[in-house]
Amino acid sequence: MKVIDYRATNFRNLLCVEHQPSPAMNIIVGDNAQGKTNLLEALCVLATGSSFRTNSDRVLVNDQAEAYELSSSYEYDQRCFETNIKYNARTGKVITLNGRKTNPHHPDRLRVVVFTPDDLYLVKGSPSRRRFFLDFLLKQAGAEYGYHLDNYVKILRKRNVLLKKNQANTKTFKLTTEVFVEQAVRLVVARIQMVNLLDQLVGPLYQDISGENLGGLKLRYAISFPLDSGKINFENLRISMLNHLDTIKEQECARKSSLSGPHREDINIYLNNHPARQFASQGQQRSIAVSLKLAELMAIQQAKGEFPVFLLDEVLSELDKERQQRLLEYLQKASFQSFLTTVNLEKNQFADSQASIYRMSGGKLSGKE
Amino acid sequence: MRLARPLENLINQLLKLPTIGPKTAQRLALYILKLPESEARQIAQAIIDAREKVAPCSSCGCLTDVDPCAICEDEEREGHILCVAEETSDVIAIERTGFRGRYYVLNKNFHLMDGFNLDDLHLQPLLDQLSSGKIQEMVLALNPDIDGEVLSRYLADLAKPHQVRVTRLAHGLPVGGDIEFADEITLRRALEGRNDV
Repeated sequence: MKVIDYRATNFRNLLCVEHQPSPAMNIIVGDNAQGKTNLLEALCVLATGSSFRTNSDRVLVNDQAEAYELSSSYEYDQRCFETNIKYNARTGKVITLNGRKTNPHHPDRLRVVVFTPDDLYLVKGSPSRRRFFLDFLLKQAGAEYGYHLDNYVKILRKRNVLLKKNQANTKTFKLTTEVFVEQAVRLVVARIQMVNLLDQLVGPLYQDISGENLGGLKLRYAISFPLDSGKINFENLRISMLNHLDTIKEQECARKSSLSGPHREDINIYLNNHPARQFASQGQQRSIAVSLKLAELMAIQQAKGEFPVFLLDEVLSELDKERQQRLLEYLQKASFQSFLTTVNLEKNQFADSQASIYRMSGGKLSGKE
Repeated sequence: MRLARPLENLINQLLKLPTIGPKTAQRLALYILKLPESEARQIAQAIIDAREKVAPCSSCGCLTDVDPCAICEDEEREGHILCVAEETSDVIAIERTGFRGRYYVLNKNFHLMDGFNLDDLHLQPLLDQLSSGKIQEMVLALNPDIDGEVLSRYLADLAKPHQVRVTRLAHGLPVGGDIEFADEITLRRALEGRNDV
């Protein structure tokens, strides 16, 4: 999947930007507050219909204007698509694909994976951040997961209502728990498979980017209940979880909420066999976050057969020269398209590069340097 | 401007009805005031009549003005198959299919969110019918959502000691629908429940 060209009108400070990016790596250089991130944001909105920085479309419109418009043509699976998004505060947002109205979930929409400086919290932030990462990825890989997740959230809320109303000894609660466990285990099985896939992908990626050659990076899915037998399958997990809920029933009644299930689980990230949260340095954490995002890219490629477009916002800061060089080399050699923003770039890093370098200044993009 | 008290009262009463918001309530109230008095009285009388004369059937729970209801009285219906539905409106829908068994209506929208306890359902007539030995199959016609799932299990548990076959409606494609427009989840259910031709 490659963006062939795109155009942004009255989108934040991008009054009128037209760009035919390179199918490989695109680097956008510029000082602070010139519109580098806005450009990535525009691509993200083109793909997903919403921004990674805000939920409000109103703030995306330039102060001097009433509406923004984004359009792009891209190549997906040897077919060419044109998409357009118009937003007006009064009439709302209209998304079209090849001239027809569509919603952001159309299977042929442009796909992107975004790295923002906030993704550092994937490593050091709360478990909910990592669950969100995993759920988002699984929803992209197949529609079934989203359906099961919705159902799980519903039954979880219902089970909690029963616990709050002290109905834990009723048959209603017992049956609700049965259904709850089945929904929970469906999610757990899908998540474990995905984490195992990410684990295989992320190790070599991290080594490439960091150049470290120690124990490497490992991902493990942390289940919220003990497993009674070794094999991980639906039936074993179901029985283990039911048993565990039995043993913690008193606690659940006292705390009046469900204490076990996918809503309390986590991905453990180990660097050289130590928890990365406590042991990894800032630079290592950033490398891990980038590797995770790259693994996400690969996982989507495995599920959908095409690489999404990779958007990296300010990824180079906090990385030392060697890591910067390795990451840039990796992205240049990669077969997917990427967009990277940075404040400064040393010329010698790109002595013989194939990357296209652009300069962003005051909302205007100037051509290759 | 303050509305006349009786008018305000009428609007507030209409607001209690489902799917009626403040604007609709106001429009309906004003419309009722414009009607000829006899028609307005007819509406009021119809509400009173329906409330006084219609009640759940003592054996199947269908809303009826004669007890037992016409379906229960119908000797030609198949007595060995019993269909459990949540509301009388569901029965009306199933009747249109030409189903000739008997019914049991729960008359209660079951929502776990309200902290509703299944043991509070009025199920004695159903238990009586199950233990009478006449029923061979109980068809659960419940909504295919989480609440329906919990309720199905509850009813299946009840039927277990009576050795009654418990079935539920199939999930799948709507008749006359297009496969290409079916969502993945429905289509998958349809594949799982495929039949021999």
